[in-house]
Amino acid sequence: MSQDTNAANSLHVGSTNDQARRSRSPARQMLSALLHDKLALVGILLVLVFILAAVLAPLIAPQNPYDLSQLDILDGRLAPGSQSTNGMVYLIGTDDQGRDLLSAILYGLRTSILVGISSAAIALVIGASLGLVSAYAGGRLDSFLMRVVDIQLSFPAILIALIFLAVLGQGVDKIILALIVTQWAYYARTIRGSALVERKRAYVDAARSMALPDRRILFRHILPNCLPPLIVVATMRVAYAIMLEATLSFLGIGLPVTEPSLGLLISNGFEYLLSGDYWISFFPGLVLLLLIVGINLIGDSLRDILNPRREG
Amino acid sequence: MTHPILSISNLNTSFRVGGEWRNVVHDVSFDIGAKETVAVVGESGSGKSVTAMSIMRLLSPGNSRVTGRIDFEGRNLLDLPLDEMQSIRGNRIGMIFQEPMTSLNPVLKIGQQITEVLVHHRGMSNAQAEAEAVRLLEKVRIPSAKSRLNEYPMNFSGGMRQRVVIAIALACDPKLLIADEPTTALDVTIQAQILELIKALQEEEGMSVLFITHDMGVVAEISDRTVVMYRGDAVETGTTREIFSGAKHPYTRALLSAVPQLGSMTGLDRPLRFPEVDMATGDIQPPEPTVDTVRRDAAPILKVNDLVTRFDIKKGFLRKTVGRIHAVEGVSLQLRQGETLSLVGESGCGKSTTGRSIIRLTDAKSGTIEIDGKNVLGAGKSQLADIRREAQMIFQDPFESLNPRIRIGNAIAEPIVTHGLADAAEAKERVAELLERVGLSASMADRFPHEFSGGQRQRVCIARALALEPKLIIADESVSALDVSVKAQVINLMLDLQEKYGLGYLFISHDMAVVERISHRVAVMYLGEIVEIGSRQAVFENPQHDYTKRLMAAVPIADPSRRQTRRISNDEIKSPFRPADYVPPKRSYQQAGEGHFFQVA
Repeated sequence: MSQDTNAANSLHVGSTNDQARRSRSPARQMLSALLHDKLALVGILLVLVFILAAVLAPLIAPQNPYDLSQLDILDGRLAPGSQSTNGMVYLIGTDDQGRDLLSAILYGLRTSILVGISSAAIALVIGASLGLVSAYAGGRLDSFLMRVVDIQLSFPAILIALIFLAVLGQGVDKIILALIVTQWAYYARTIRGSALVERKRAYVDAARSMALPDRRILFRHILPNCLPPLIVVATMRVAYAIMLEATLSFLGIGLPVTEPSLGLLISNGFEYLLSGDYWISFFPGLVLLLLIVGINLIGDSLRDILNPRREG
Repeated sequence: MTHPILSISNLNTSFRVGGEWRNVVHDVSFDIGAKETVAVVGESGSGKSVTAMSIMRLLSPGNSRVTGRIDFEGRNLLDLPLDEMQSIRGNRIGMIFQEPMTSLNPVLKIGQQITEVLVHHRGMSNAQAEAEAVRLLEKVRIPSAKSRLNEYPMNFSGGMRQRVVIAIALACDPKLLIADEPTTALDVTIQAQILELIKALQEEEGMSVLFITHDMGVVAEISDRTVVMYRGDAVETGTTREIFSGAKHPYTRALLSAVPQLGSMTGLDRPLRFPEVDMATGDIQPPEPTVDTVRRDAAPILKVNDLVTRFDIKKGFLRKTVGRIHAVEGVSLQLRQGETLSLVGESGCGKSTTGRSIIRLTDAKSGTIEIDGKNVLGAGKSQLADIRREAQMIFQDPFESLNPRIRIGNAIAEPIVTHGLADAAEAKERVAELLERVGLSASMADRFPHEFSGGQRQRVCIARALALEPKLIIADESVSALDVSVKAQVINLMLDLQEKYGLGYLFISHDMAVVERISHRVAVMYLGEIVEIGSRQAVFENPQHDYTKRLMAAVPIADPSRRQTRRISNDEIKSPFRPADYVPPKRSYQQAGEGHFFQVA
């Protein structure tokens, strides 16, 4: 309908609406639509709270789980609400090494979010660049890159990460690397699809006929128009990366025991689950769940907002 | 008038937009008599299609509200329960739509799609239905109808598909046929065939037709009475003759004066502006005559010699070339500064490919192209950038050709800055100047493309093309997607700019009437070749080639008193696809006058 009314107005070219005003950019429209979606708002709040908690962990955590002098092995596996001999209250209990679980979770969030976001971001940059170039260049380069993507996507991500970590060993940097390797292909595939469509559109022809450099056409004209699906994929992938990291740590090949991540904490508590000490696994699991749900709520809402066929 | 078949009174249709009801059809009333054709004409957004949808009750009930009366065969369609309405749709009222591609199911055979209707609505057995389907296809003049029953829609051309759609609409002997822009997506010769067919069928079947269109030429051609709609109102209703000879409402008069009429330029040798009309009062300002802009003394700005562009069609695992589309075959032309050369032809004739090949958006296979004396096909990257500054292109769809995420001020400034013609501050001034030049205001630079109407967007595209101060502009169907009144304004603008800057236009269009108005010279293209080229006056007043004559005869003329009783051949447009070993024949041209050549077989 809006198309029609626009055209009807065109009978009076330039007669009205001449007052100077700066209209809202697509990015700001997206943000405002996101803030008007109640579910997305819940997601944003959840994620914001967790990010804040992770960033401020050294300030707000009652204990530094890395500092062995603060730990007391005698406090191991205390139930939520227990008090330590030194007077400290463990709000949600301790783990088997006597670490305050709340502090461990706060520090664990730091690791999980760092790993998730940085691996997703780096994979995005690599994947998106390769995908764009692949679509724009076409021909042999395109075929080659896409076959690599095919091969990569035909293996389960966890298998690739497992092999990778088995070779490289443990560590935050290594797990980030493994996650990048398993994920760049998704971005490459996504952006290539939309870039192929955009490349055939008339505004690209127009840019070419104005003799703009290829680089400019690729990154200033095509890329911004490919962003919507990429943003959606990226949000979902951050959640996936955090989960994958948790899984790998749970399996004991992700991070060393001394650096708690959510997955590792869940794994630590796992063996005590049957003996009734549920809290060691339960609370880190709950935080992981809420974080993932929060990110996915944002992703879902973005997908609706950025869908070109959306009504209105 | 005898008792009307369909009588619409006080029809109001509203849509819910974001919680508010917006009235898009306002108090529309008209009748359709037996065996009568009524045209509803208007520009986009006038509510003409919504009127048709309201009659058929095809609007979704949740988001729309229809009030008033629609009497058909003594019953008010708006009061009928849905199942009774269902039996009227398709049975008593048939409908055909604009896009024949999408109104047929691509995975069902043509025969099935017709017999389905017959079996369901008329209770025929399969054998009966098949015989009836053949009869219907023959009725819509599809050759060797019986053998085509087992083919899929993709095997049919656009015109043939529209015939099938009409056959399906006729399957149940409707009393009323509603045709919503049925010829808009078709080429002009095919359009003429379909119009002819609808007229013939109407006489044979004795039905009434409600014909919805934006094209005044089609209206003049087909309708007995006409309803003119403007922004949801039926502003004028009357017999087609009355409307065309003495329209009362200012909008109708404005609309009619903006309609290019083939033959209206007889005797003139220069392009002519459209008269300016005040939409409110209907006062018509006679157009200012154009000055002679053609620089005959200087060397041509564009020289094309023997241009050939072919696309390989590859198949199979080894990507063997099985055939080629000979899109452009041996095209030669010249264009002077300040001159407009139009390339006309129907879809697939290679006119757009010619334009794209000239600035190397598509790679040519052979030939030579010179823009301002510079060789285009042999140019390297930096030379090509220089050449592209001299020659700019304006595309058909102004919305598509503007990047939706870039503010139009930046879009216009971009080529200026990247080519180092000015720094950012100077570019900003230049943008303001360009926007004013094309009739927009400088304050609009901060807006995004979607905030403009179609006509304004095309103005933006023109401003952007002018940014590099080119000498040649290739306008590829640049006004085809615009409403008539807007089209007239944009053409006037193009003529103004030609006078001011001495621009050469290569104007690519399928619309003969517009071409007649704007060009100095015309080249007619058919199957990738130029079949006739010459001054506009010579080609339009003394056409030599058969195809040119056919094309001219097919153009609907917006004057009901000149309605032709013509016989149009049922030829389909041929495809320029050829087998891989095809060698194009050597063509020779004959001269018919000064600079006027046509192809001889």
